[in-house]
Amino acid sequence: MTLRDRLKHANWQLILAAPVAAGILHICATLAAPYLTAASAYSRLVPALPLNKMQVLADITPGAEPLPFLSPDARYALCRFDTSNGPVTVSATLPPDPGWMLAVLSPQGDNVYASASTPGRPTPITLALVPSEEHFLGVTPEARGIARDAAPPIPIAAQRGIVVMRGPDRGFSYRREIEANLGAARCSAAHF
Amino acid sequence: MLSHSALTPFHVVLHKVQKRVAILFSILGDWAAFIGAVLILGLGTSWYMIDVGTPLTTARQGPWVGWVSGGRADADPYTRAHFARLGTLQLSAEMTLTYVAYTDSGGRRLHSSCDYVVEGREPGTNWWSLSVFNDHGELIANPAQRYAFTSQSIAMRPDGTFVVALARDARPGNWLPTGGAGRLALMFTTIDSTAPMLAKSGVAPIPLPEIRRIQCR
Repeated sequence: MTLRDRLKHANWQLILAAPVAAGILHICATLAAPYLTAASAYSRLVPALPLNKMQVLADITPGAEPLPFLSPDARYALCRFDTSNGPVTVSATLPPDPGWMLAVLSPQGDNVYASASTPGRPTPITLALVPSEEHFLGVTPEARGIARDAAPPIPIAAQRGIVVMRGPDRGFSYRREIEANLGAARCSAAHF
Repeated sequence: MLSHSALTPFHVVLHKVQKRVAILFSILGDWAAFIGAVLILGLGTSWYMIDVGTPLTTARQGPWVGWVSGGRADADPYTRAHFARLGTLQLSAEMTLTYVAYTDSGGRRLHSSCDYVVEGREPGTNWWSLSVFNDHGELIANPAQRYAFTSQSIAMRPDGTFVVALARDARPGNWLPTGGAGRLALMFTTIDSTAPMLAKSGVAPIPLPEIRRIQCR
């Protein structure tokens, strides 16, 4: 059979449908991939973390890594939060050293909030994690005639996720200072 | 050759069955080829774009590969799928850029049976770190308990450059032990608090260190 015969007898409907079907499969497989994996960072960390409470992780050592590619170049404090029963407040102060960060991650790994330390001055952070941006956060101190002594919390809409505070490990001499800064971070159910 | 008179009803039926089986096989062959092509094209391209990445989703500099929208709320589906499958804690690429290298600057796979030198220049005033893992992202156990160097812990040269030796046996200066790990992965992380790194225009990309193979055993 010559090439011309082969082309003449080819099923052109299937040949043209193949790239279209492959494109649909490509899109479905790509969009479904984050939900099909059982090994996402969130699903690995959740069993070891208490709800709405900041926890300083132990040193990252060989055989005891909570996640792959988690470098011991930093120490971490994590808080698993769930706002379905009410808002959660997070407060922390990033020291004026380079390398400190605080981020709020969704279960899919998106950073819905991230802030890094600023050289020269500490960075106080107060967040109100709420299930939706329209959530009522209570009557403000100003409305009750009370002068506010701190910056109002930044509302962040997030149903579930993890708050990550990261402090660079500067060696044994600085360990207590870094642990104290991480330990001072708070994450708790809000009371208004 | 059989004459018309020699064709019995059995031969006629057999001929018809043969013809129909041939048509059925032709149709099944077409569908098998169709399904095969769809699976290979659809899943293969999806796997490639999630696992390896393309210039649309990654920034490459020599052996270093960084996913430019990792951790961002507006990340593309390939980046989201990449980090979900990898299972890493990805901080926003607006402030943190993470590059991973599985090969040396010559394109050869990093392996613990070889010695390497990682040589580079400090990327501005940003905090940075260089960590070594096996290719599954696990730390490499060593008696020195040394797994990474940061901008605060590394011994720099007077001219602002640094050299890190990756080797099984102890080396003078900045040494990261790699003994017994098999295939290696190097991770270079920078944190910039001053401005979104990817939004900067007209700024040269951060110079990433060169990875040179010295010898293999």
